[in-house]
Amino acid sequence: MTATLALKVEGLTKQFRGTTALDSVYLEIQPGEIVALIGPSGCGKSTFLRCLTWLEQPDDGFIEVAGQPFGRERIGAVVRRQSGREIDRIRPRIGLVFQQLNLWPHLTALENIVRPQIVVLKRPREEATRRARDLLARLGLADRAERYPHSLSGGQKQRVAIARALAMDPALMLFDEPTSALDPELVGEVLAVLRQLAEAGTTMLVVTHEIGFAANVADRIAFMDHGRIVEEGPARQLIDAPRDPRLKGFLDLVLSHRDGPAPPLA
Amino acid sequence: MRFDPWMLLDYWELLLQGTWLTIRITVMALVLGYLLGIGVALLGMARSRTLRAIAGTYVEVLRNIPFIIILFLVYYGLPFSGVRMPALFAGTLALSLFVSAYYSEIVRAAILALPRGQFESARAIGMSPAQAMWNVVAPQVLRTIIPPSTNMTLTMMKESAVLSSITVPELTYQGLVIQGNTFAPFEVFAAITLIYWMIAIVIAETSRRLEARVGLAQRQSVTRNPIADRYLSLERRPAR
Repeated sequence: MTATLALKVEGLTKQFRGTTALDSVYLEIQPGEIVALIGPSGCGKSTFLRCLTWLEQPDDGFIEVAGQPFGRERIGAVVRRQSGREIDRIRPRIGLVFQQLNLWPHLTALENIVRPQIVVLKRPREEATRRARDLLARLGLADRAERYPHSLSGGQKQRVAIARALAMDPALMLFDEPTSALDPELVGEVLAVLRQLAEAGTTMLVVTHEIGFAANVADRIAFMDHGRIVEEGPARQLIDAPRDPRLKGFLDLVLSHRDGPAPPLA
Repeated sequence: MRFDPWMLLDYWELLLQGTWLTIRITVMALVLGYLLGIGVALLGMARSRTLRAIAGTYVEVLRNIPFIIILFLVYYGLPFSGVRMPALFAGTLALSLFVSAYYSEIVRAAILALPRGQFESARAIGMSPAQAMWNVVAPQVLRTIIPPSTNMTLTMMKESAVLSSITVPELTYQGLVIQGNTFAPFEVFAAITLIYWMIAIVIAETSRRLEARVGLAQRQSVTRNPIADRYLSLERRPAR
């Protein structure tokens, strides 16, 4: 395999006042690959995504995005911390779709996508607008461009958030629990969008509770527990024949919950 | 004794000069105070503990001493450390310092009230802290700070009357002068009351228009919840 990895994480470690949130995490993602990251809540999944985007500074370890070191780099035997400016320059290479989406409510859907292209990538407005309209059309939102986020449905907001990240031409898209902030009936809509992106060859790392999505769309699943990736492998194989007892326990819990009677309405 | 407001007509020039100076001082202190206030607010959210402590002390000190003492410190106190300035300059500076402490708290509270994800999503996409502030935080904060800033500006405008005590010839000072000439305190201060009141109305009206414009530009605020909106709205809902 000679192609440059979309993402290469080595020994990523993060501690919060004594508790270890990430314990030497290793992960490699090939271009075009879709990896689902699953695990019980509090296992470090969100911290992992925040460290990958340098919103949280990892204490140790290395990140490489499309062959480019991010945050820290090795020059011979010396480790150098990148400056804020260098980090900001690489950040658009990683598209993050937040769990809470965090669209900017004072800008229209279109402007949410156009503004970062102009500010960060210095694209001319016409080009940025063309790109944004193109993405909105692809995601079925062509007629929602001039709307403000508050007048969009949850699923539409999410697609705007996805378009905003995609417009930066990232080498990798990160999704933090893409289905959890939505009404249950919208989950199918979002999964369809992710599947569409997958078909277009987008590289994705998806933190999710949707075992169904992980099993059907992801190429690979990584199971995280207590800040470590305990087991990883081809999606089907991992779900059908888990080796690690903790993964077994987790899958039992999630799958029994899914097949059991519908939970009472909250 | 009889009430004779018409004699004030002889002094209209002084009243006009005083009014004009009060307006100029207020506008200067508004601008300077806001620049200082924004600086102190950003300092108060800095990563460094020392910088935060400096901003905190600044606000605490200025908010907890009477304005007239700030004024005396600047006008009579600073010359002892070799800084000597004209009364008008010292007065405007003191007023700016005074109001900046409150403005900075208004700005800081408005920024902190914004969900953290707003700033983070701007940073994660590659904006620098300054770009994120300018493109994402500032436009959203602008609207929330207008009403409390208006209150503070009104207070500050009224507080500018204290500058008369260091001989700045603003409205109150001119009133005292006229009163000295005419021995008619009631007429003079009734007129001055009216003038201050009119200045206050202009400030409040300007702020109202500004708020409407900003609100129009950004339609709905973040915090408006659609359900609450439906129940709080005064628009007629279709009958069931």
